[in-house]
Amino acid sequence: MVVILTVGDDLIELKQVTKTYGKKQNLFTALDNVSFTIPDGASVAILGKSGSGKSTLMHAMSGLDRPEAGEVIIDGENILQLKSKQIDKFRAHKIGFIFQSFFVQANETVSDNVSLPLEIADVSRGSRKRKIKAALESVDLLEKIGNKAKNLSGGQKQRLAVARAIVNEPQIIFADEPTGNLDSVTGAKVEDMLFGYNKKNGVTLIVVTHDPDLAAKCDMQINIKDGKIESIRDTKSAPKKKPTRTHIKVEV
Amino acid sequence: MRITDTIRRAGRSLKNAKARTLLTSLAIAVGAFTLTLSLAAGEGSRQYAEKIITSNIDPQALIVAKDKSLFSADAGAGGLKEYSEGATQYAGLTLKSLSQAELEKIKATKGIERVQPTYLVKAQYVEFEGSDKKFTSDITMYDSSVRAESAAGRLPPLGEQIKDDEIVVPQGFLKTIGIKNPADLIGKKVTFTLVKPAPTPSEAEINEIIAREGVAGLAKLTQGETSKETFIVRTVSKDSVTSLSASSALFISEQRAKELSEFLTKGTNDYQRYIAVTAIAKDSADPEKVKEALVKQGLTARTAKDLQGLLFTIVNLLQGIVIGFGVLALIASVFGIINTQYISVLERTQQIGLMKALGMRGKDVAKLFRYEAAWIGFLGGVIGSGIAWGLGTSLNPWITKQLSLGDGNYLLIFQPLPIALLILALVLVAVIAGYFPARKAAKLDPIEALRTE
Repeated sequence: MVVILTVGDDLIELKQVTKTYGKKQNLFTALDNVSFTIPDGASVAILGKSGSGKSTLMHAMSGLDRPEAGEVIIDGENILQLKSKQIDKFRAHKIGFIFQSFFVQANETVSDNVSLPLEIADVSRGSRKRKIKAALESVDLLEKIGNKAKNLSGGQKQRLAVARAIVNEPQIIFADEPTGNLDSVTGAKVEDMLFGYNKKNGVTLIVVTHDPDLAAKCDMQINIKDGKIESIRDTKSAPKKKPTRTHIKVEV
Repeated sequence: MRITDTIRRAGRSLKNAKARTLLTSLAIAVGAFTLTLSLAAGEGSRQYAEKIITSNIDPQALIVAKDKSLFSADAGAGGLKEYSEGATQYAGLTLKSLSQAELEKIKATKGIERVQPTYLVKAQYVEFEGSDKKFTSDITMYDSSVRAESAAGRLPPLGEQIKDDEIVVPQGFLKTIGIKNPADLIGKKVTFTLVKPAPTPSEAEINEIIAREGVAGLAKLTQGETSKETFIVRTVSKDSVTSLSASSALFISEQRAKELSEFLTKGTNDYQRYIAVTAIAKDSADPEKVKEALVKQGLTARTAKDLQGLLFTIVNLLQGIVIGFGVLALIASVFGIINTQYISVLERTQQIGLMKALGMRGKDVAKLFRYEAAWIGFLGGVIGSGIAWGLGTSLNPWITKQLSLGDGNYLLIFQPLPIALLILALVLVAVIAGYFPARKAAKLDPIEALRTE
């Protein structure tokens, strides 16, 4: 039995991460020697034009993609060294996703949509109902619990996606252009919900966007261009949470 | 992911594509329908054959003959046959016959309780009361070890003989006689005219008779002896499939058949020679063992089991053909499932991508698609078997009537266990068919899948 104590306030740490696509002449470097750290509980915007590598960066941090070089340390663990089964487990338990085009299952009910991450994470059936209700409550969709997702408006669909992202109480939420498909009023409502949840629950929120207004609402902005970090701005330099975190890992 | 959740999700995806699911299932249902019917027909036929054999034939009885061709399929073929000593004519056939000495040998065989020769009576002609025509027919003894079905009148229970003045007429004869209702023949008289061939006198005998009684005496000697025998119709036996006994002869009691046969053959080569005898094995003896012993003596024998085997061979062959068609239908439906599932994977690329992004294992995604295929197989199996069951059960009385199988006998017998196994097999076939589409789904890259918009 090994007991590992990890002490620190950084949740995400990238060290010289490089990701390339293609071979030889067609070689394309999507991420070029990227390094930064994100404190626990922060809200971070990854800014950049399309093709700049911001989506690849998000994929690398969430374990969807595997950069060839470097380290992606999440919560003290280099996820690039995990086996695919462990990465799937990592995503199921620690990550929530929100996409630009919602990706809610139109033919399924609101409840079944939110239930999916719980089923994947093997959450017992008894506690599912309570978690689903709590998640829908916090996005103000509880009265739609039995409706089919296809009958929801665009804003409601994205709120449903938010509920699906937070239902299993993840450590990190990745939101890829969360308001890209919404008008400004409904977009603002979704933004408020995301930031509200981030502040209230101390969940790290990483928003991928090309919208400077949305980026300005975040604690930290990471500008990316041609696969390289252009600048990192820490608008609210003080960490939002208690400065130190103690992880006690028990490996058997 | 839990299996129950996967199954529920699989069922839900199918429900969302009702028409497609149903149509794909129907392809399997065609196969299931055919297979269920063939299983039911096979079971029905086997039960029916067994019923006939056990209720009509003494399981300890063996038919013993010297000539193999009595049992062979081309027994009815005439044509040129080599002459052999000690042969007897039967139904236009010349068959090697058993002598009295051989009969004694059979009797002495271990395990045999008694032996009953088959007596043949060759009447010159036969007359039926109510018809002024004359007929010819084979006349043989009533076989008490085989029970025929009656169209009119009653037959004695298995093992009992009919009375000496009684006769059993097969239903097939009625048309020739000119009688429609079998009951009309019961109690009527049947008269045989038997002509005993005159012995060929030697020259000394001819001289002696001419010396004693003159030419008239010689004429009387060579004229032969004529006898008329009258019987009362007890039963008209049915020409149904159930009737395994030769239904093309008139049956009289064993005693009378013996008397008449010996009366006709006395002084000829055929005297006390038999083409076949029925041997009854002791209750303690295995008829198959007795058969072996008889075959060692150069005889051929057929047991009740052989007869059953013969019937089963035919049933199994027919069933095999129908099953073949069912399997062909299934193979066609397998391609249907593969096609449908591939389309389903394409349509749901985003959904698969999302599930994988949320941490669902590739093997769980594959499982989801395999369960969908399983649902399709299950649905098809239930629909096909259900329709076959319903249709078969409602048509059974009609089929029984058309094939005159007799009351209470059904051609199609549906048993829950084989049908359940069939549905299980179909589920398996569907899962195997869904293997490649499921693998494709499992291997989808979530990043690529979620880029599709």
